[in-house]
Amino acid sequence: MNEQSPTAGISMHKPQLAPRNDSEINKQALTEKVSVKDVCFYYGEHKALKNISLPIYERKVTALIGPSGCGKSTLLRIFNRMYDLYPRQRAEGQILFDGSNILDPKRDLNLLRARIGMVFQKPTPFPMSIYDNIAFGIRLYERLPKSEMDDRVESALKRAALWDEVKSKLNQSGLGLSGGQQQRLCIARTIAVRPEVVLLDEPTSALDPIATAKVEELIYQLKNDYTIAIVTHNMQQAARVADYTAFMYLGELVEFGETRQVFTKPTKSRTEDYITGRFG
Amino acid sequence: MNSNAQVASFASSSEISPDALRRHGIRDTVLRNATRSAALTVLLLLGGVIISLIHGSLPAFKAFGFGFFVTETWNPVTEKFGALAPIYGTVVTSLIAMLIGIPISMGVAIFITELCPRWLKRPISTAIELLAGIPSIIYGIWGLFVLSPFLQKYVQPLLIELFSGVPVLSGMFAGPPYGIGVFTAGIILSIMVLPYITSVTRDVFETVPAVLKESAYGLGCTTWEVVSRVVLPYTRAGVIGGIMLGLGRALGETMAVTFVIGNSHRIAASILAPGTTISANIANEFTEADGELYTSSLIAQGLILFLITFIVLAAARLLLLRLDMQTGKKA
Amino acid sequence: MNMNLAIYRRRRIFNRAIMLLSWFAAVSGIFVLTLILGTLLYKGFGGLSWKVFSETTPPPGSDGGLLNAIYGSVVMTVLGTVIGTPIGMLAGTYMAEYGRGSKLTLLVRFINDILLSAPSIVVGLFVYEIMVVGMKHFSAWAGGVSLAFLVLPVVVRTTEDMLLLVPDSMREASAALGSPRWIVIMKVAYRAARAGMITGVLLAVARITGETAPLLFTALNNQFMSTNMNAPMANLPVVIFQFALSPYVDWQKLAWTGALLITITVLALNIGARALTSSRSKQS
Repeated sequence: MNEQSPTAGISMHKPQLAPRNDSEINKQALTEKVSVKDVCFYYGEHKALKNISLPIYERKVTALIGPSGCGKSTLLRIFNRMYDLYPRQRAEGQILFDGSNILDPKRDLNLLRARIGMVFQKPTPFPMSIYDNIAFGIRLYERLPKSEMDDRVESALKRAALWDEVKSKLNQSGLGLSGGQQQRLCIARTIAVRPEVVLLDEPTSALDPIATAKVEELIYQLKNDYTIAIVTHNMQQAARVADYTAFMYLGELVEFGETRQVFTKPTKSRTEDYITGRFG
Repeated sequence: MNSNAQVASFASSSEISPDALRRHGIRDTVLRNATRSAALTVLLLLGGVIISLIHGSLPAFKAFGFGFFVTETWNPVTEKFGALAPIYGTVVTSLIAMLIGIPISMGVAIFITELCPRWLKRPISTAIELLAGIPSIIYGIWGLFVLSPFLQKYVQPLLIELFSGVPVLSGMFAGPPYGIGVFTAGIILSIMVLPYITSVTRDVFETVPAVLKESAYGLGCTTWEVVSRVVLPYTRAGVIGGIMLGLGRALGETMAVTFVIGNSHRIAASILAPGTTISANIANEFTEADGELYTSSLIAQGLILFLITFIVLAAARLLLLRLDMQTGKKA
Repeated sequence: MNMNLAIYRRRRIFNRAIMLLSWFAAVSGIFVLTLILGTLLYKGFGGLSWKVFSETTPPPGSDGGLLNAIYGSVVMTVLGTVIGTPIGMLAGTYMAEYGRGSKLTLLVRFINDILLSAPSIVVGLFVYEIMVVGMKHFSAWAGGVSLAFLVLPVVVRTTEDMLLLVPDSMREASAALGSPRWIVIMKVAYRAARAGMITGVLLAVARITGETAPLLFTALNNQFMSTNMNAPMANLPVVIFQFALSPYVDWQKLAWTGALLITITVLALNIGARALTSSRSKQS
C-alpha cells in the first residue's frame, strides 16, 4: 500500500478517462482500497459470517459468488454499514477503508455512504422526476447553481448509458421507466455523488437478458474510475465482468483470486464443485 | 478519527459547507423527539379523558354511592339522580340493534362474497360503506321525520295487534303507538351498525382459502352449508370482532338516538314506549344542567358509557389482532 | 350409494330460503341508503337558495339562511384539522419509522384504535372539563379542539398504515446515498406515501363534518353571525339539532337543507379520497 498523507486518501477523485489498454493497466500498482480483516457478522445470536478476510483492489471489479445463503450479500452490506438500520444485526472485526476502520462505532455513517455507494437488486427509483432522482444525492451535501447541477445530472446519466433515452423526459417520474432503465437510473443516481467505491448487490437478477448485457457493459466501463464490488449468483456474469473473484460458502471465504485462476484452476475442491455445478 | 475531523476533512476537499452536515444531525434529533412526543400524546389523551371523567363524576358517586346504578329517579328539583333508566335504555337499544343488525349484516356479507356477480361487488360494497359515512345527525332527522311516522302508522299498530294475546310479548309490544321510542331507536341503530359489521365480515370471509370452500362444494354442500360449516367457523374470531365493533358503535351513538328515543326517564315494559340512553340523556340535558350534582350525574353517566365501550372495543381489537396473527398479517 | 332424496330436497329448500334472505338483506341495505339520500335531496333541495349562504339563522317565523352556521362549521373544522393533523402525522411517523414493533408503538396503536371508535360525546365532555370550565365560557376554540381530538386518531392510523406500505428497499436506497434519517423519512417515505396520507386527512375531515355531540358542550350555538373565537359560535350540526326538534316548519326546512349540505360535503370528501387512492394504485 502506498504511503499517503492524512487527507489525500479522503479527497474525492474527479473521474478520469483511463486508457483501455490492458497491458498498461496491469503495469499500474495494485492498491487495496478496502481491506477486510477478520470480520464476523451476527443476526441476533446466529453467526452468519465467520472470520472473513479479503482485499478489494482499487479500480478493479471484485465479485462475490456462492450459493444462496452463503453470506455474500451480508458481507457486501457491511461495507456501507447498511446493517446499522436494523437493531439485531452487528459486525465484529475491521474493515479498513483508506486506512481507517469502517466498523468504528464513532464513524459518521452518512459520510461513509456518500463515499461508498450501493445499487440494489430491485430497482428503487424515488417517487420523483428523473432529474430529481439524480439530483437527490447531490443535494444532500452540495449546493450547486442550476447550470452546474444540470451538468452533473447529464454526465451521470451519460455515464450510465441512459442519457439518450431520457434526455427529453427528465421531468417525468422515474417510475415510468422500464425495469432495465430504472436500474440504470439507480446506477446513475449512485455515481452522481462521485463515490469512490460502488457496491452492486445482484444488480441484474431482476432484469431481462438485454438489459443485463447493457448493465454489464456499464460495469466494465465504470471500473476505470470506481472500485467495484459485485455480488452475483450468476457465475458467467462474474467471469465476464470481474477481475477478482471471492467464493463464499456457509459464511466462510473459501477462495479468493484472479477471476481467470478461480474459474480455470481453483485451488479448493469446494470451489471446483460449485464452479462445475455440482451444487448451488 | 472523530466525527468533527471527518466532517472537516470531507468538507475541505469539496464544495460542501460543514454547517450543512451539522444541520442534518440537529434535524434528525428534532424529528425523532417530535414524533415520539406526538405518539405519547395519544396515550395522554386517553389518560386525560379518563381522569377528567372520574374527576367530574366524583360528586355524584359520593352523594349516591352504588345506588346511582340502580335508581330510576331523575329529579333535578330534589336533586336526586339515578342512572338506571339511561343504562337500561342504552343496553336495550343496542340489543335490538344487534338482534336486527347481525342477521342482516351476515346476509349482506354472504351476498357480496357468494352470490353477487363480479361487476356488482365493488358498487355494492361502496354503497354499504357510504352508509357508514353518513353523519349520525342525518340518521336522526331521517328517523324523526320519515321512519317514526311510518312506524307509527303502519308497523307499530300491527305489532301491537299481533302480540295482543300472547302472554309475555303483549307486554313488550304494548301501545300506544308513539312512533318514537326505544324500538325505533333500535332500528335506526341497526342501520348504523350494518356497514361496520358487514365490511369486517366481508373482509374476513374473503380470507378463507378457496381450496377450503372448494373441497366443501366438491362434497356436494349447498352454499349455505359451505358458509355455515366452513366459512363461519374459520372466520369466527373476525366475525365476532366485527360484531363487537358494531356493538361499540351502537352503545355510544348519540345524535340519531336523541332524535327518536323520546327522552323519558321511565323504564317501561314495552319497547314501543319512549325511553332514554346515556348519550341521549347527556346530549339533551347537559347544557341546561345547573348545580354541581346535576352536572356531575351526567358526567358520571359519561364515565359509565366510556368504560362500557372501552371494554367492548378493547375486546374486539384483541380478537381482531389474534385473527391478523393467524392469517400472518402481523408478526 | 343410497341417496335419501327427501333429505336432499330439504337441504336445497333451506339453502334457497337462506340465499333469498341474503338477497333481501342486500336489497334492503341499498334500499335504505337510497331512501335516506332521496329524502335528504327531496326535503333539502327545495330549501337551497342563495339566501342559505348569505343570511344568518332567523328567529322562528321569519326568513333566513345558514350563513353563521356554515361559517362556524368551516372555521372549527379547519381549526380541528390544523391542530389534529400534524400531531397525528408525527405520531404515525414515530410508529412506522422509529418505533416499529416496539412496545410503545403496540400500545399506542391499541389505544388509538379504541379512541377511533369511542363515543364522541365523551370527547365533548373532556374538552368541556378542561377548556370550557377552565375558561369559564363556551368558545369556538373549545369546539375546534374537540374536533381535533376526533381528527387525531384517524390521521394516526392512516399515516402509520400508509408509511408501512412504503417498501424498505426505498429507504435503504436513500440511506445508501448518505441521507440522514430525517431526509429518508421526510423526502422519500412521505413522498411515496403522500396520496395515502392526504386521503387520511380527507377521511378525517369527513368524519368531523356533521359531528354534533362534541360541539354541544364546547362551541354551543349562536343565533348571530360571530367571528369571535372566544365566544360560542354557530355551527351546522347544532343548528340542525335545534331547528329539527322545534315545532316551526320554516326552521325544520332549514334543518333539512343544512343536513343536505353536510351530506354532500361528506360524500364529496369520501369520493375524493377514493379517487386519490385509486389513481395512485393505477400509476404504480
